[in-house]
Amino acid sequence: MRKNIIIGFCTAGAIALTMSGCGAQPKPLYTYGNYSENYYNSKKNISPESALELQKSIEFAIENTENTSSGRVAPGMYANLGYIYLKGGKTDKAMESFTKEKSIYPESAHFMDRMIKKIEVAQGEIDD
Amino acid sequence: MINSKFITYLVVAVFILFLTGCGPAMTTKGAEFPKMYEQQPRSILILPPMNESTDAEAKDYYMTTTEMPFALMGYYTFPTEMVSDIMKQEGVYDTETLYNMPLDKFYDYFGADTVLFTRIKKWDLSYMVLAAKLTIQIEAKIMSTKTSEELWTYVGTVVVDLSGGNSGGGIGGLIASAIATAVNSAAADYVQHAHTANRRIISTLPVGPYHEWYMKDQSLKFIDQTPGK
Repeated sequence: MRKNIIIGFCTAGAIALTMSGCGAQPKPLYTYGNYSENYYNSKKNISPESALELQKSIEFAIENTENTSSGRVAPGMYANLGYIYLKGGKTDKAMESFTKEKSIYPESAHFMDRMIKKIEVAQGEIDD
Repeated sequence: MINSKFITYLVVAVFILFLTGCGPAMTTKGAEFPKMYEQQPRSILILPPMNESTDAEAKDYYMTTTEMPFALMGYYTFPTEMVSDIMKQEGVYDTETLYNMPLDKFYDYFGADTVLFTRIKKWDLSYMVLAAKLTIQIEAKIMSTKTSEELWTYVGTVVVDLSGGNSGGGIGGLIASAIATAVNSAAADYVQHAHTANRRIISTLPVGPYHEWYMKDQSLKFIDQTPGK
């Protein structure tokens, strides 16, 4: 009887240990870095500096995917970056980013194609 | 021996009572939101929030908090800021108009499976004699762009007591409490608490296709908010 109780305690202890203590921290699905904070700050203090900080955190999120469980860039990050390029007149880089978003997330294809088409139409008008 | 067995049963019984008996009514993801599991949407178009609070800045600030948690729940989330800009370029400036648009339009334009509507119900500080209380309340709703049905909804409320927890008596205590109130309300960070409200809301959402629990979380429990239950 006593032996059984001891075994019981040991098992419970072992389970508790596996569940809490020793295991490595699970990796997050995506890397966001300071994206959320900098996005908020870009709204709170609208300035070229805060916009640049936001762009930097987007670039950081894109470049640091190795410590994630998905190994992918978070949804919308390439689109965000592409949109910043587009606003800055860098249409080639914008199209490149929109294409990347689409290739990682097929759910975005319809929207990204629409953006790419918009750029092409605008470029056509300039060329004419 | 019989005695100790009896005690064990008693303890277990009391524990079960404690767990189930008097708490709020619980429900599960599967029971509450079956349409999420039937339609299995892959993407969420997060629209700018509808601000029903008294704080004009709440809309812009709250908008920065939604993209990340919904993406981490395993859905493709469209980039919030860009979508908001594009809608303006298409001539839709007003959130009211946006919230009354036929849902299939969002599928036609963005290819989104669902749309997330958020309403900021409360975003305020209320002052009492020697205390202050911050309240944030958000109502979130996911609608299908294909069937126009509501797939999921939940309300998250966060109430923060900013009075510094001072319960000391006497004049000294009162002064200390007043100071704590001033300091804490100055430092009150709405957005931080909005993140907490989001966490409460989002814990009830069935996870999406990029999450490891996809289609496996039907039995997860949470507090039932269905009116009349």
